[in-house]
Amino acid sequence: MRPVPDRDSAEWWAAVRRRELAVQECAGCGTWRFPARAYCPVCRAREWRWRVTDGRARVSSWIVAHQRFHPALAPPYTVVRVCLAQAPGCVLYGTWVGGGEPVAGEPVRAVFTEVDEGLTLIAWEPAG
Amino acid sequence: MNGLRDRTALAGVGYTGFSKDSGVSTLTLACEAILAALSDAGLTTDDVDGIATHRVGDSAAPSVVGPALGVHEPSWYLDQFGGGSVSHAVVGQAMLAVAAGVARTVVCYRAINARSEFRMGGTGRGAPPGPEVQYQAPYGYVAPPQQFAMYARAHMTKYGTKAEHFGQLAVTQRANAVRNPRALMRTPITMDDYLASRWIAEPFRLLDCCLETDGACALVVTTAERAADLRRPRVLVSAAAWGGGDSFLSGGRVDTTVSAAAELAPRLYRAAGIGPEEVDVAEIYDCFTYSVIVQLEDYGFCAKGEGGPFAASGAIGPGGRIPVNTHGGFLSEGYVHGINHIAEAVSQLRGDAGERQVAGAQVALSTAQPGYVLPATSALILRRG
Ligand SMILES: [Zn+2]
Repeated sequence: MRPVPDRDSAEWWAAVRRRELAVQECAGCGTWRFPARAYCPVCRAREWRWRVTDGRARVSSWIVAHQRFHPALAPPYTVVRVCLAQAPGCVLYGTWVGGGEPVAGEPVRAVFTEVDEGLTLIAWEPAG
Repeated sequence: MNGLRDRTALAGVGYTGFSKDSGVSTLTLACEAILAALSDAGLTTDDVDGIATHRVGDSAAPSVVGPALGVHEPSWYLDQFGGGSVSHAVVGQAMLAVAAGVARTVVCYRAINARSEFRMGGTGRGAPPGPEVQYQAPYGYVAPPQQFAMYARAHMTKYGTKAEHFGQLAVTQRANAVRNPRALMRTPITMDDYLASRWIAEPFRLLDCCLETDGACALVVTTAERAADLRRPRVLVSAAAWGGGDSFLSGGRVDTTVSAAAELAPRLYRAAGIGPEEVDVAEIYDCFTYSVIVQLEDYGFCAKGEGGPFAASGAIGPGGRIPVNTHGGFLSEGYVHGINHIAEAVSQLRGDAGERQVAGAQVALSTAQPGYVLPATSALILRRG
């Protein structure tokens, strides 16, 4: 299922196309946030800048889909929920490409998967 | 909220039959359940001046149901967007409308063809709208069983919650449904049946997941004074609360082993003037087995992390410390998006729950989806009075 970027997220998806995992840094209080939107939920400042992260994260949880939840996706496949190492409050989901089963708390890194000319997606693999 | 305590009442409940294919429209289902609830209360459509529902674009609106029943000039409508998390907020809003005198007799309903028309499980349907979807759907993370399985896994890895804990919930609720003539699933199951059921989204098996049901359920909300003169034993709304929680967008609840109910519960109990130890029966939103485990903790029936062993200890079964989902819940009675939990709580407090009656039940808790999809939940404390 192709993502449909909105007016808040278009720049974030463009960064992913450049193989960058970026989050916003609030110019008011320094809090890093994801997903992209205009206002900081901590201090309400509207000024911010992009910060490219190191792509490191830790596994928070995971599932293995055994049912065909979407016509385009053949089960089984594993989806992980991760918290970024540099900003544990930033939570991302993605395909697991680790081979074996994830482990809670396991360090992982982002892998950029070029689906086609217009779309790059993020997957996660063990950081070793 | 204390100014609202026990000022309104649930005077009637009504159901359609539950099935996998109702063969009729959600409008027909809504009308049938509302007429049944009014009849139960000893009222007619002439008494109705408020109509409320929650829905996700999948059902007949109050503005359609009212005229269809010949209710041409209601003084209050509520067409609440949302899923299970707002189910109990609808009754809370009706409580406000009645307590404020804006309406005197409100019918709250939920009518769905969740199996034959709009499959709640998400299989084969498009992703719902919402800013978070673009960050999840491309990875095949699109449906509620996946979301709740993700949260269940986090609870398992943090607290050692086991498949057998989830399984005991499924087994207990099925045993309750065996004693409920309305229930869709009335064949007993064993732990072996649970463990042998097929994977849906690991760690969830088929028997962790609620049914997808066609059906409707309705409730009548009126003033406490008026309810005293109606047909049925009076069930007072001691407290209604809604809110709480955090969302993916607000920065994320990093630790998902705590639900929005943890923030809501103290407010709810304070409004009712009681604590969890005074609750006799609890109808707990069970879209999945895990949803019950986390709410047993967050509504204070056991310590954080103890929900699995507590559920498996027998404490939630008949004669246990806190009988839970006495009707069989969504897992085994049917899935009417929260309203059938409230209706069962009313039955228990009136003492008309038949073979599944909790002896002497005076106080009931009924809860909504604990804020894992939209960042809020809702709940009611009801009292026989
Ligand atoms: Zn800030």
